[in-house]
Amino acid sequence: MESEVSNPTVSWRIPNNWADITETFHEAVKDLKLGELLHDDLFGLFEAMSAIEMMDPKMDAGMLCNRGVRKIVSFDQAVQDCILKLDAFSDSEIIGIIDSTLACLVSWLEGHSLAQTVFINLYLHRPYMIEDRTLKAFCLSVYKLLEIIKDLVHKAMVYEEEDFQPMQYGYQLNPDISEQRMIGMLREVEEDLHKKLRGNHNEETQGVYGRIRFIRVFLQVLIIFRKEDQQPCIADCQRLLNTSIDMLYIVQDTVHLGVRNEDVDNEHIVGFEPSINQRLLPPTFPRYTKIRCRAEAVLYFMEMVERFKIVCRIQSISSLHQALDFFIEFSKCSPCILSRSALQLLYPGTNPVNLKDILKDAVKTFICPPALLSKTLLANAQAKHYVDTFLSHCSRPFQNFLQLCGHNRARQRDKLAHLLEEFTTLQDEAERVDAFLHNLSVSSPLSRPHIACFGTWVLYHTLRIMIMYLLAGFELELYSVHEFYYIYWYLYEFLYGWLISALSRADSFLVENEILNELQKNKGTSKKKPKYKKKPRPYNRDIIYLQALQNMCGGYYKALMGFRLEGKLSMPHPRFDSEQVRYEHRFAPFQNLLTPPPVVYSEFRDMTSFQRFQQQPVDSVFLYIAGCKHFHQARQLFESVPMDHEVAELLKICKTNFIVLKLLAGGHKKDSTKPPEFDFTSHKYFAMIKLN
Amino acid sequence: MKEVLPSTSTEVESEDVSEYEPEPVEKIEKPLNMAPGAVKLRSLLNKTFRIEMTDGRILIGVFLCTDRDANIILGSCSEYLPAESKAKTLNEEPRMLGLVMVPGKHIVSVHTDANDYDPGMYIPLSKNINSDDVT
Repeated sequence: MESEVSNPTVSWRIPNNWADITETFHEAVKDLKLGELLHDDLFGLFEAMSAIEMMDPKMDAGMLCNRGVRKIVSFDQAVQDCILKLDAFSDSEIIGIIDSTLACLVSWLEGHSLAQTVFINLYLHRPYMIEDRTLKAFCLSVYKLLEIIKDLVHKAMVYEEEDFQPMQYGYQLNPDISEQRMIGMLREVEEDLHKKLRGNHNEETQGVYGRIRFIRVFLQVLIIFRKEDQQPCIADCQRLLNTSIDMLYIVQDTVHLGVRNEDVDNEHIVGFEPSINQRLLPPTFPRYTKIRCRAEAVLYFMEMVERFKIVCRIQSISSLHQALDFFIEFSKCSPCILSRSALQLLYPGTNPVNLKDILKDAVKTFICPPALLSKTLLANAQAKHYVDTFLSHCSRPFQNFLQLCGHNRARQRDKLAHLLEEFTTLQDEAERVDAFLHNLSVSSPLSRPHIACFGTWVLYHTLRIMIMYLLAGFELELYSVHEFYYIYWYLYEFLYGWLISALSRADSFLVENEILNELQKNKGTSKKKPKYKKKPRPYNRDIIYLQALQNMCGGYYKALMGFRLEGKLSMPHPRFDSEQVRYEHRFAPFQNLLTPPPVVYSEFRDMTSFQRFQQQPVDSVFLYIAGCKHFHQARQLFESVPMDHEVAELLKICKTNFIVLKLLAGGHKKDSTKPPEFDFTSHKYFAMIKLN
Repeated sequence: MKEVLPSTSTEVESEDVSEYEPEPVEKIEKPLNMAPGAVKLRSLLNKTFRIEMTDGRILIGVFLCTDRDANIILGSCSEYLPAESKAKTLNEEPRMLGLVMVPGKHIVSVHTDANDYDPGMYIPLSKNINSDDVT
């Protein structure tokens, strides 16, 4: 009833009358010289280069040796030959088919093509012909799963070609079923299985029941994620996700019951044909997709459902800054494409319609700009207009920032560099708006000065992006050890310092605003002195944390300079190296920023030259001791913030590095030129220094 | 500002390209190979070919290029698996390949569209023929 793969239409009709010119041809080519190519004007060697060479096993996917020994049998042929049955499946066979299909689904979600994963299952080629109700419902539901997953991933727009292959190769459900009907169908099968279990409880039937229920519930979760018009009901989601996990435990416990292929050469059971779609694949070198094993696939789904649970928490976050932190934190565990996409769709801020208001709240919370709070300024039409325009211009950069955090880790660094360009323009506009508003507010006695309010807010984000960019280089292992010192130097000397002062400024603004509010509140009362309770400053924890990181970077910088002086760092051969070129390449995306102003190479050399330290002789011991002090300071700062997993790791690193530098300062291994090791296993950005 | 550079690294200079203008490239016309075989082959360019390979697969595409070893390049090429039966009918579902090169040593036969092919046009007489022999 439904169509399978339609034949690709041929643009011209294949001739049916052929003339044999073999002899003629072979005679004719003898007139060509060795190396001479015969072609017309529009074709040449350049074009010829890209031709696929036939009968070369590395390039010709259609060759016999690449096609596999098995005879490739289609669904129709297999049914005809009675290899494939359509009914009377045992529970064990159903479990095997479902588990194999789920394993194929996981392989697809890891970035392979549908033709070589899910659609190697022949039962999916003609799902309406299957007579067994359970298997039929399962096969139809796979089509719905594919459709919803593709839609989700496509809408979220955080996938790259290595993440996801959406092409469906002409496999479509015909006729299509609605989501509701599909859920209904699955429920019916579930109920039948449940009745059967009550009569006779056995493990296999339990296994099938668990799988069907999991598929139904999983499908429902994805349907909720996809809902566009209304805010998805998270309570429903949590309930369904918990059921998913319960069902997945049943699946895990019954994986061993699924029918398997005992043959060593062939891992696939009846109904799964790995090469069935080979003719549909684009002409490239032969590609083989290794399907995940069944047990691993179950684990993949379990971890995915756990990630979905985390993703649902974004619903309770209303502030943009918290949301950004959430996105950044979530990205660090390298989540799968589906959970990254779900996060994008569940957060209202990724929708540009909502973003402007969220931005306004964000600035208000961050720094309490008078422009958004003071009545006099709010009443001024022109001021309101400027602020409004500025906030709408902020929409796209922040939308891009949120989307960037949803991409896979490897792709983020490049995108961060591009994002900086957008923030440069924002900085410019923020400065001008601030200047205008400042002039206005100066004239009115009650309002606070508007110096650099919006500017500080944009600067805060710009600096965070710059820091993310540099640190990503460590995670992606882009820097050689001999480059570490200027990366850490830039972070220590500039970026963290600027970030701390931006936060401090925001901090002061917030405190000032509070004092002003207190004063105004107590105006009418008889109190002589307003009791100003000593409250912790709003950004205290963040500032201390950043100071600790700054000190760590300082520690690394001094340690590395010490290593250089003692010849412990292997530098590239000067004939083939230019430090200036390396430096400029690493900091290239920062060149166009206004604030902070980029540090050119000559300035860097100036600032890091030993002539600056007038008083004392600079030798490696001096540098090691300086590094020690930094790590010690970092440690003290970390001990004063509330502990969490990351702070605990960083503390360990600080303590270790402190000891190592202390030893080195004492002359330990002074003459050894063995390079020290930088161990990033505890933390991706900050290494533990190890001596060999 | 005087830049202090490590002693042996080379200074990065920007080249002065303002005075360089590319010279107009003269198309050097290579003399065409007028040997009869070459002329014959050129008449076959861009015609549809059907090539049978040593492993039985059939390739149908547009003839674009060849060389002395009879390596043939076909454009918009489709691959057909050998038909099960002896009949000339091809298996359905060709595999689209695009631009393909078939090594001469793997070619069993070459066919061209008979409706488009005129065998006698360019082959010069190989020997003198008496007008009486032409009937």
